[in-house]
Amino acid sequence: MTNLKVLGVVLGTLAVYTWVANSIPQLESVVPEELSFGADVTEAELVAAGQALFNGGGGCLVCHGLPTRAPNLLTDQGGEGTIGQRCATRVPGADCKTYIYESLTDPTAYVLDGFDPMVFQARVFSGAQLWALVAFLQDQGGPVTVTGADVAAAAEADAAAPAAGGPLTASMDPLEIMRANLCLGCHVLDGEGVATGPPFDGMGDRIDADRIRRSILDPGAEAAEGFQDQLGTMTPTIADLLSARQLEVVVQFLAGQGG
Amino acid sequence: MSERGSLARALRRTALPLLCAGAVVTALAFLAEPLFAQGYTPREYGDFPIIGSRAAVWIAAQLHLFFAAFVLGVPMFAVVAELVGMLNKEERFDKLAKEFTRLLLVSYSATAIWGAVLVFALITLYPRVWGYLAEVFAPSMWVYVGVFFFESFTLYLYYYGWDHLKKGRAKWVHWGLGILLNLWGTIVMVIANSWLTYMMSPPAEVTPDTAPDMVRFWSAFANATWMPINVHRFIANIVFGGAIVGAYAAFRFLSAKTDEERAHYDWMGYIGNFVAITALIVLPFAGYYLGREIYEFNQQMGTTMMGGFMSWLWVVQAFLIGVLFLAGNYYLWVGMGRIPGAERFQPYTKYMLVILVLGVMVWATPRNMIASRDELTAMGGQFHPFLGVLGVMSAKNTAVNLMILTTFLSFLLYGRANKRPTVSWAQRGTIIQGALFVIAAAIVLFYGVYGYFVPAIVRIGFSVYQVLAVLAAIGGVVTLNVLMMRGAESRGEIRWGQMPDRAQYALLVLAVTFTWLMGLMGFARSGIRQHWHIYEVMRDTSVDAATPALGYASIVISACVLMFLGMVAFIFWVGGLAEKPVISGVGSVPPPEPAAGD
Repeated sequence: MTNLKVLGVVLGTLAVYTWVANSIPQLESVVPEELSFGADVTEAELVAAGQALFNGGGGCLVCHGLPTRAPNLLTDQGGEGTIGQRCATRVPGADCKTYIYESLTDPTAYVLDGFDPMVFQARVFSGAQLWALVAFLQDQGGPVTVTGADVAAAAEADAAAPAAGGPLTASMDPLEIMRANLCLGCHVLDGEGVATGPPFDGMGDRIDADRIRRSILDPGAEAAEGFQDQLGTMTPTIADLLSARQLEVVVQFLAGQGG
Repeated sequence: MSERGSLARALRRTALPLLCAGAVVTALAFLAEPLFAQGYTPREYGDFPIIGSRAAVWIAAQLHLFFAAFVLGVPMFAVVAELVGMLNKEERFDKLAKEFTRLLLVSYSATAIWGAVLVFALITLYPRVWGYLAEVFAPSMWVYVGVFFFESFTLYLYYYGWDHLKKGRAKWVHWGLGILLNLWGTIVMVIANSWLTYMMSPPAEVTPDTAPDMVRFWSAFANATWMPINVHRFIANIVFGGAIVGAYAAFRFLSAKTDEERAHYDWMGYIGNFVAITALIVLPFAGYYLGREIYEFNQQMGTTMMGGFMSWLWVVQAFLIGVLFLAGNYYLWVGMGRIPGAERFQPYTKYMLVILVLGVMVWATPRNMIASRDELTAMGGQFHPFLGVLGVMSAKNTAVNLMILTTFLSFLLYGRANKRPTVSWAQRGTIIQGALFVIAAAIVLFYGVYGYFVPAIVRIGFSVYQVLAVLAAIGGVVTLNVLMMRGAESRGEIRWGQMPDRAQYALLVLAVTFTWLMGLMGFARSGIRQHWHIYEVMRDTSVDAATPALGYASIVISACVLMFLGMVAFIFWVGGLAEKPVISGVGSVPPPEPAAGD
């Protein structure tokens, strides 16, 4: 009898928890759909794909469904209308399409007052997915100007990305790597280069290898002392142009620049 | 029991875990070979019948983790119990530690078996992921197996040497073995943690194009969430071990045939509950640390966890933690019925119950939920017009801190129930203790209310003040209590064994709830990777890439908990057949004679 009672308590407790978990809204984390649009894609197809991404795998609703966390895109924001209505006038000189696309690909470019930069990570989405999102957002109260040509160009860029994103040089010589990647266009080493950013001379005395590596991988994260006003000016994709081994070669070389 | 017999049993028990460890080593060696002959394209995923690959690996991992948590948590308080017994010269603590270790011994093989099942499931069902991890972490995998080997033998020495290393310096040597056992166990845990946390938070320099042999080992090992997970698991293992021991004691109490057995298992259940709830009080702070590091690593991941598709999970978590607090306190309140002098505290329990229930309700109030446009319209806005106010962190932090204070008060009253302090300053001391409670509660409430009038970034910092107030009060009250209770008179012995059965069922509910909660939070930790095997490095392209909804997850978790408890029951039953339980010698006191006229 005791065994049965114990079994009953265990099963009853498990049943209650399972029931509670099944009683609340069931949300599944959807995988963003791969899009294979070409130049002949229609506006309706783009908007539909964008809507699916926005509401699902893109994870946009996590913040943009909450007016306190991010600007509301689907309903009025600050009396300026929906995103499709207000996008063309947000930034002087930038049309709606450009504004939204750049906001997605560079979340720090246009941050609305009162909000933090967007946490959306465009790098894990394809060009076609990003343009589909732009089309959907334009469709929220405004005309859709995204075309098949945009998508086709993005697809070409995606296809070329491995080549374009690959190392510009196969050399493992740190100086050659830095010259090929135009590092000396902003940094000075042994009298060579332009003194826009922190000098490479003596860098190992100022910061350690980890910090140098971080600065190359995420140049916008932390400013060098005395160069706070330069924060954000270094190309954020510079690390994409280096192989992992080249990165380490450069890091160790710069860390050794002391004395 | 003969020495030769003990040795033979030890060797038999050693054989299975070592066989499992050997199998894992062989598998690793197999992978290390250049098996990918020219022209052969290895498959990325395997198939598992009926339940699918994801569920198969999920179940294997969860069961391994349940057993691993138990065999890591129990030695921690086994050595503490043994030390208490040594310092206070109370043999009952030594016997308790030995019985804990006996439970440990029989669970150890199951841990190893499920570890092997998990590794083979990964190799056969997710070969690409496993191959990648093996390449990045190969050195640590070999170390893991080696430490596991040492851990096994230390455990056998610790248990089977108990009676041989009993007196004088030998006892300290024995206790040292216990410490060594914990050290090996902790090393094993932190090594395995590095593998799973790497999948969550790989270093920034690792990209999808980075070959595994280019990943720097230490950078991958000590990744962003490694240490927070280590801390969180370390504490959670103690909680879990305490809860399972409590449930074991409860079951043995319910099936006990003699008063002596009932007294022993009543006392053991109390110790298990004490350990579990005490560690539970600290656990939210470790969880906060982990959450903060997840946000620091990747805001999108953090936002997904707290406000994305996982947002409803926290409502379920609040419900479970509410059950834990209520069941833990209920056990203490019922237990006060067998403590002479406790009746003077019983009128206060209803107020404590009110605080706990209100706290649970506030904690379970949702705030940032994913909602469709229709749902927002129905609610009249993003937040509920009344309940939305209670959903913010100010209210939740206030609620949980008051619940922790209340639970601590329950323990305090329980511990003082049958004592009468004899120090001259006892009354003043009690007043100061009361004042510490009031001041802590006032600080918690003040910052809870003030939080509504300041920006979010300021409000987040208030939680630190609230936590510090509660911890300071707990520290101050405990210190005073230790000093006040020196030489205290007894109002009567605790009547161990005279505990109502319903209190034992509360212990069982606690164990089931802890286990289920562990499964739920494991789902949360793993699920926030979404459709990535290794976050933003290796995409999950299998048919199970989408992270399932909570309903499905709850079914898998319940199945795992049921299997775990079933196996634990079987293992304990088998263990009980082989050896007689160690009775601590806790005296059962006959119930008081009813007063005339009752």
